[in-house]
Amino acid sequence: MDNISALLGGFADVITPMNLLIALLGVIVGTAVGVLPGIGPAMTVALLLPLTYGLPVEQSLILFGGIFYGGMYGGSTTSILLNTPGESSSVVTALEGNKMAKTGRAAQALATSAIGSFVAGTIGTMLIVLVMPQVVDFAITLGSPEFLAIILVAFVGTAAILGSSRVRGFAALLMGIALGLVGTDFVTGQQRLTFGSPFLADNIDVVVIAVGIFAVGEALWVAAHLRRRAATVIPVGRPWLSRADWGRSWKPWLRGTALGFPFGAIPAGGAEIPTFMSYLAERRLSKHPEEFGKGAIEGVAGPEAANNASAAGTMVPLLALGLPTNATAAIIIAAFMSYGIEPGPLLLTKQPDLVWMLVASLFIGNFFLLVLNLPLAPTWAKLLRIPRPYLYAGILFFASMGAYAVQGQPFDLYVLLALGFVGFAMRRFGPPVLPLIVGAILGPLFERHLRRSLQQSGGDISGLVGGPVALVCYFIILGVLVWPLVARLRRGARGDDDDADDGGDDDTPSGPVSTSTIPNWG
Amino acid sequence: MTVLVGYVPTPLGEATLRAGVEEARRRAESLLVVNMSRDDVLVDAHRAGSDDLDRVERDVAELGVDVEVVRIEEGGDPADALVHTAHERAASVLVIGLRHRSPVGKLIMGSTAQRILLDARCPVLAVKEDGG
Amino acid sequence: MSTEATTAPTRVRDRAQYGLCAALALVGLVVIWDATRIGAATSSNDPVGPRAMPFIIGAALLVVSALYALDVYRGGVGEQEAGEDVELGHPADWKTVGLLAGAFLLNAVLMEPLGWVISGALLFAAAAFALGNRHHVRGLAIGLALSLITFYAFAIGLDVNLPAGILQGIL
Repeated sequence: MDNISALLGGFADVITPMNLLIALLGVIVGTAVGVLPGIGPAMTVALLLPLTYGLPVEQSLILFGGIFYGGMYGGSTTSILLNTPGESSSVVTALEGNKMAKTGRAAQALATSAIGSFVAGTIGTMLIVLVMPQVVDFAITLGSPEFLAIILVAFVGTAAILGSSRVRGFAALLMGIALGLVGTDFVTGQQRLTFGSPFLADNIDVVVIAVGIFAVGEALWVAAHLRRRAATVIPVGRPWLSRADWGRSWKPWLRGTALGFPFGAIPAGGAEIPTFMSYLAERRLSKHPEEFGKGAIEGVAGPEAANNASAAGTMVPLLALGLPTNATAAIIIAAFMSYGIEPGPLLLTKQPDLVWMLVASLFIGNFFLLVLNLPLAPTWAKLLRIPRPYLYAGILFFASMGAYAVQGQPFDLYVLLALGFVGFAMRRFGPPVLPLIVGAILGPLFERHLRRSLQQSGGDISGLVGGPVALVCYFIILGVLVWPLVARLRRGARGDDDDADDGGDDDTPSGPVSTSTIPNWG
Repeated sequence: MTVLVGYVPTPLGEATLRAGVEEARRRAESLLVVNMSRDDVLVDAHRAGSDDLDRVERDVAELGVDVEVVRIEEGGDPADALVHTAHERAASVLVIGLRHRSPVGKLIMGSTAQRILLDARCPVLAVKEDGG
Repeated sequence: MSTEATTAPTRVRDRAQYGLCAALALVGLVVIWDATRIGAATSSNDPVGPRAMPFIIGAALLVVSALYALDVYRGGVGEQEAGEDVELGHPADWKTVGLLAGAFLLNAVLMEPLGWVISGALLFAAAAFALGNRHHVRGLAIGLALSLITFYAFAIGLDVNLPAGILQGIL
């Protein structure tokens, strides 16, 4: 087993007192910030990015491993203790978790979530070790046309599948790609969309985009709709599980892991679908179906495991292909780029030590998480009492510090505020945030592969469809784009037994009834 | 006239409530229970849940005291809110809980109880933490 | 699908969405205009050139903005983002947003002349004030503590770019 020995090498690199301390720091800071209301894992990682600027690459990757899993776990604490999930992936956890907390079983809900996250994280990280090198072996044979097609799948997937409205998803995606265009063309050195400003010639750093859209946008949005009431706190004891709870939890953990990992690994899979599927599966398989809706422990154990396993799964396309499949992964790619590391299939061959070290630190971060969170849960819950003015002032404080630290230019702060207002508008009008970030990160890569493949074919368009992989990708894209149309036509063909509401066909927009339907596309 | 109790869902709050009930009986007046929570935090440990307030209302009514339970959710300052309500409802006495604090704690946090003692226009009955 | 928003019979159409469509179209036009400005620079080595991508994206933005407008015309509504600290249902509080943006701009202007320690502390205090903090001294004290800690930890400890400003030599 080559991978295993490489992984052990990674462990050997990580396990020094200094590095372990950094991993511990990452887990603590990641969890603490993740618990804070209004801050999800993606914003946690974005805000903490500047922490890593001064560190050597290796140590900052270790820090990231801790922050990544810590931020993931922190979010679920809030959704259990309050019925307000910060992330769409913790929505399902809140369903049963909050009911459990209300009936005095907060400690058990937190425990099954912490241990389930550990189990899923460990298995998931092990699966990374097994799967990722295979994907790399395959990906390394791919040329630019294939990569172009894969990136297109990621584009269409994030824009069309996630979120509720396709046209809004594509609007966000195109805005992101347009932001990615700003700067100096890498082949010809021509300035694009810089409007003569020397500051823009250097491209807008992805970190600035992410912090602006996530952090500043969120702060402005919250400011416009500040909730002016407190919620009742649910007292938390030290998390523990009884024998019966263990017995009811371990199977959901494993099933959740099995569901979560593959969804995390495919582009545009995300954590929403597997967590929801896990919830449905547990409700069907449970011996206590009557408890569902009143605080069934299976309904926390399964989705939480699925959530963390999908987080682990995202590391596969991230490390093997350089594709971000969720917001947190997108920021990690931004972090890689700020170190001049280009994630992609070449990373494992060029810098294998780095990759295995990151994987090893994921294991270690995951372990620290378990050790820390069981005793510290009551402490984390106290963080919810930070007054909102201080909390959001703190977010702006760290956001401007991070954005300035990228290049040491006050100009970036103005860009940050402008992007904050873009983020505000997106929260107001509904275009999802993820496609914009993905577009900004993958847009330049997309153009590079486009130009390279046409260069190889001497400008012949047919050079874009090179090989079976690209063909499969284009078929998938076609399927995703055409499917809603087909579904609508089939529904139309079945006749009038359908709800009148569903009749919002492209060519018959008639009367007030059909206007109440929102077509998928256009 | 009424007896006003500042209630929080803690052991001290329950002790304060008991003292308030006693006071209301002694004076043969009604009891007004006020729970105040700050409006600028996500969760406030001093905010009593609806079930908690229902229980208070039921328990006190069972003891034969005329009771009204009010929750104040706007404003960030419990001292202001209590003093203002006491004045508004012409309370004959204001019953509050007094936590034990270290000298350093007093210096940093200021004291809600102290502000109430100074600002209230009616007599204030302070209940000490150790069942006193 | 955000159709559940349509259950209320007296739904107000969200016409402000047309503004977003217009903004998208404007961005598309700017992207295309900027691309026409680039000199033709294709070569046998680079048959695509730097202009193709902006043209594609600009055109796609125009198409999507039109489809978006069509969707809005048909009654499409985007879902506003909910959150732990967000209470929808009130009109937006533009005063708070304006104050917050002002605090942010102030920091951007003052950061280099005054240095991070001062401008960061002011940013924190001003932002907290904008969001309704009534303890001004406490806000300033927390801000100063945060900016001092971050300055020593990052700028001095980890060599991160943060300006010392007028306190150069003192810190």
